[in-house]
Amino acid sequence: MSLQRDPERNEIKYLRHYADLAGKRVLEVGSGEGRLTWQYAKWAGAVIAIDPDVDSQRVAKVDRPHDLENKVHLSAASSEYLPFSKETFDLAILAWSL
Amino acid sequence: MVHALEEVRRVLVPGGVLIDLRPLADRWRVEVVSAGGMQETGRVDDLPGQIHGDVAANQSMKEAEGRGWFRREAEELFPFFYSWDMPSEMEEFVEEDWGGFIELGDETKMKTRSAWALADADSRVRIRVNILISRWRKL
Repeated sequence: MSLQRDPERNEIKYLRHYADLAGKRVLEVGSGEGRLTWQYAKWAGAVIAIDPDVDSQRVAKVDRPHDLENKVHLSAASSEYLPFSKETFDLAILAWSL
Repeated sequence: MVHALEEVRRVLVPGGVLIDLRPLADRWRVEVVSAGGMQETGRVDDLPGQIHGDVAANQSMKEAEGRGWFRREAEELFPFFYSWDMPSEMEEFVEEDWGGFIELGDETKMKTRSAWALADADSRVRIRVNILISRWRKL
């Protein structure tokens, strides 16, 4: 199939306009297969990307760019019970997940 | 959803930022585009699942704001295009991936196929999805 998603890259343009990502600790909720994650993570300090769908997480782990392996951490988790007792974040992104 | 917002608030630093990014049901436009220009050929039909999802999400954000968890700082809509080489691919995708949320009416399908057939060889079909982005500050 010839599907192209957001060929104009509007989503990342607006996200960067709305959020100062530089050096920030980011929690992405609903990261799916990482489509958006890979686009912004290079500017962030660290990213925890969660999604309850195990299959999507598996794809994301395979697709994760090599240079983001130490920066983007993937976790199969639900937004209803975030698995963080002490960790905090500067920025949270609800990525098509609310 | 409200509980998820409470959880996000819990793990944000004081003054932290929440970005809400999501498609909004708005009978998205179907278009045929080529080097020669763009032609709107119809609109998708929103199904109850899509509309109810939006209502629930909006109510959750309103409740979070009402409870004093977050303050909205900015909000706008922008276009996010899904684009295919030909109408049949678009129709297949809508049925398989968006069934229960939107559908394409017969008239829109026919107009799109016709416009695509008459357009330049490089023409594509696309759906213009309206995305809401809003920035919220933790209080």
